Amino acid sequence: MSGHDDAYDLLRSIILLSTSPLSIEAKLDGMLQSISGAFGSDQCVFLRSDEIGQNGFLSRVASERKPLWVEEGSSFQREGVLLEEKDLLFPSFACVPLYDEISFQGILYLGFSKNRKFSPAEVDLLLLIAKEMGEAIRNASLHQKAEETISDLTALHEMGKAVTSTLKLEDLLELIVSTGMKILKARGGVLRVEDRRTGELKVKCSAGGYDQNPLDERIARRVFFTRTPISLNHFGEGKTSLSILCAPFVSKVRDFGTLAFYDKQAEPSKFDERDFQLLLTMATQMSCAIENALVHYETSNMARQHEKMVGQLSTLWELSKTLLTTVNLERIIHMTLTAITIGDGLGFNRAMLFLVNEKGKALEGTMAVGPDNAEEAGRIWTSLSQSSGSLSDLVSQLQFPPQNSSALNTIVKGIQIPLEQEQCILSRTALEGRPFNIQFPRTEEWWLQTRCERGCHLGSQVGCYVGEHLSRDPRAYSFATVPLWGKGKVIGVILVDNLYNQNPITEEDIHSLSTFSNQAGLAIENALLYRNLEDVHQALKEAQMLLVHQEKRVALGEMSAIVAHQIKNPLVSIGGFARRLYRTMPDEAPEKRYTQTIIIEVGRLERILDDLVNSTRDEALVPKELDLRDLLEENLSVILEGSPHVEIQLVKHFSEEIPKVIGDYQQLKHAFFNLISNAYQAMKEKGTLSLRVYPFSKNGSSFVRVEVENTGEGIDPENLHHVFNPFYTTKDAHLGLGLPIVHKIITSHRGQIEVDNHPGEGVAFIVTLPAKQSTPPPLAGGDSGEGERPKNGP
Amino acid sequence: MKRIMVVDDEENIRFLYKEELEEDGFVVELAGNGKEALEKLPFFKPDLITLDIKMPLMDGIETLKRIRETERNLPVILCSAYSEYKQDLTTWASDAYVVKCADLTELKSTIRKCLGLR
Repeated sequence: MSGHDDAYDLLRSIILLSTSPLSIEAKLDGMLQSISGAFGSDQCVFLRSDEIGQNGFLSRVASERKPLWVEEGSSFQREGVLLEEKDLLFPSFACVPLYDEISFQGILYLGFSKNRKFSPAEVDLLLLIAKEMGEAIRNASLHQKAEETISDLTALHEMGKAVTSTLKLEDLLELIVSTGMKILKARGGVLRVEDRRTGELKVKCSAGGYDQNPLDERIARRVFFTRTPISLNHFGEGKTSLSILCAPFVSKVRDFGTLAFYDKQAEPSKFDERDFQLLLTMATQMSCAIENALVHYETSNMARQHEKMVGQLSTLWELSKTLLTTVNLERIIHMTLTAITIGDGLGFNRAMLFLVNEKGKALEGTMAVGPDNAEEAGRIWTSLSQSSGSLSDLVSQLQFPPQNSSALNTIVKGIQIPLEQEQCILSRTALEGRPFNIQFPRTEEWWLQTRCERGCHLGSQVGCYVGEHLSRDPRAYSFATVPLWGKGKVIGVILVDNLYNQNPITEEDIHSLSTFSNQAGLAIENALLYRNLEDVHQALKEAQMLLVHQEKRVALGEMSAIVAHQIKNPLVSIGGFARRLYRTMPDEAPEKRYTQTIIIEVGRLERILDDLVNSTRDEALVPKELDLRDLLEENLSVILEGSPHVEIQLVKHFSEEIPKVIGDYQQLKHAFFNLISNAYQAMKEKGTLSLRVYPFSKNGSSFVRVEVENTGEGIDPENLHHVFNPFYTTKDAHLGLGLPIVHKIITSHRGQIEVDNHPGEGVAFIVTLPAKQSTPPPLAGGDSGEGERPKNGP
Repeated sequence: MKRIMVVDDEENIRFLYKEELEEDGFVVELAGNGKEALEKLPFFKPDLITLDIKMPLMDGIETLKRIRETERNLPVILCSAYSEYKQDLTTWASDAYVVKCADLTELKSTIRKCLGLR
């Protein structure tokens, strides 16, 4: 170095090179050439930090960060010189370390073949140049890093742009793989997602040249389960070279898969650390995106489910609203079944209801709604699709009672299933209180009718075929049953099917049906209670009317008694004197006939008054032990003495052993008096009156039977059922209270009165009264139901 | 000849009974109420009394009670238009109860039965 001008030229050249757009390698090369030329060195090199061996003299220079000036190489300590450093031991040499603020960059080395001195100016110059070189290297490194960062950021931006462009999970995953491949310049990429049911990793999407490599799969599994990314370069003799980058998708809440890329499409075809870091950044970023997409996906699903639930709830609300419009049981059931079958409602093809009869311990078919055949089903669906209005309007506008009773309804109404039938799905539904969904496979003979082996009349064209023993007679019929709950108990069963459109019945359908049946069950139970209430109310009303009627009767009785007594005394006088007149008149006198009329009419008036008084009065029984024969004899004597019926033959058959009865002597006497005198009157002074008394036993109890038979005209069959009706009369009879009074007296004695009528031939009144209990049955083996009936005499 | 006292507030009935019973051969005395009957009783000394129940001044039941105080064995037939007194405990002291009727057959047969005739 000869002077200032040379130094200036060198510095100028160095600065020019440093600020030139050349690559750092070209810059350094130019600088070294300039330095070598200016200093006349025999060797001038830049030793990068990674080219400096450890524990040599160069590493000492690097660590001490002090330049080394060797003017006489022979005096340089040879110890601590590495083998590769020996070439640098020139007779004279200089080593100047290069740094920036952070790191050691390398050593500028100048070697001279002769010993030489380094003037202070040369030392300053070299230090200055070294500083400039260091700056150049640092700038180059910063520039490179900036470029790399920009490139990474661009890549990530691109990926971010891609993943935020869609929330559709499938699209998103494909975008991740394709964009990742582009960024990493990979030959292929695979995204694997964990199958939540099996826990297995499955290829969700792949791009580029991906072939199922077992190694790659193993790596993916390991990455996923250890949650640790792997960068693997698999090279070796005889092996397919493989470079893999694989990172897990880890989000805040869960791990859901891996992202892997293969073989860089550049030379060398392996990924470097930067690619790896980029993949990790990508994976982290993508995890968020995928998680968002998943959340979106799940939220959409939930929203759809909620929408469906809201739909179902509003349907149920509409139906419940409809059920509140009436308390008529039949109408509520009809509405319920219609709501189950209507398309806007629960949409089943047919619905049948069976109510539990607690007394009979049976399920009774109550009503069915649904078409009888496919054509009718089609017609109904068409008309429904054209009708407008809300569901509740539609149901509440139903015609009730339905115009045509369907065949299905008729069949269902005739069904009665004992509740203890364990194999019957219907009774099981009621007993177990849970729904059944019976799905039978469809076969060619799907319309084949089968009957329950237990004898239930439900068949394929109606409803249930008990499915437990299908193997014997398979049949494609699917149906479901749900219990109908009242307050804490099953009050019935609803059976539904989709016979015509063969839609499968889903668990969701059953759920909706169950929810609705709970509502319907309460409505039906309320209606049942209301109906009971109505019945009780009706009974109360009747009882009240009866009470009023009886009060009226009592009042009427009191009044008629007073009137009767007022009339009776004059009647006795009139009748009595008429009889006297009658007796004193000669037979041929015409007045005798008039007098007889007075007698007869007075007698009639007297009987009317007696009947009136007796019918309106509830006499207390004065029971005592009595023999019916005495009573009958007494009546006969009075009747015969009063008006001897000359041409009427009296035939008496009184058994010898007649048990006593307990009864009111006067009342019974009155009853038999009526029966006997009626018999005489019926024969119009001619005929046979048979009077039979005999013991009778039935079901181990003893009775006494009295038969009063006449050979009159008998009773007109049309009037027969009126004979015990008060105030009924034929024109021949008097007021007509006679037989009702007899009936009243006999029944108040726990007896029975029957009529054996033979129109045109006569009639027999048969009175049966319980015998006094202490009296042993007069007949042995008295359960025959027949007593010893005396035969008619000649 | 048996003696019968007829006690009834209805004049026509008294007259009818008298005619009928006298025709049947009885000696008949009449009284319009219980009081009159009790007054006539010691003088007439009847073998039997037919006694109406509902009468002014003294009714048949009261009269029967008074008669029974002295005449325990005198047959008394209660003869009333009311059939409902038949079961009445107060009538038990009588020998018979006959519901008034234009047809006097029952009354006459009861009288004969009570007097032990035929």
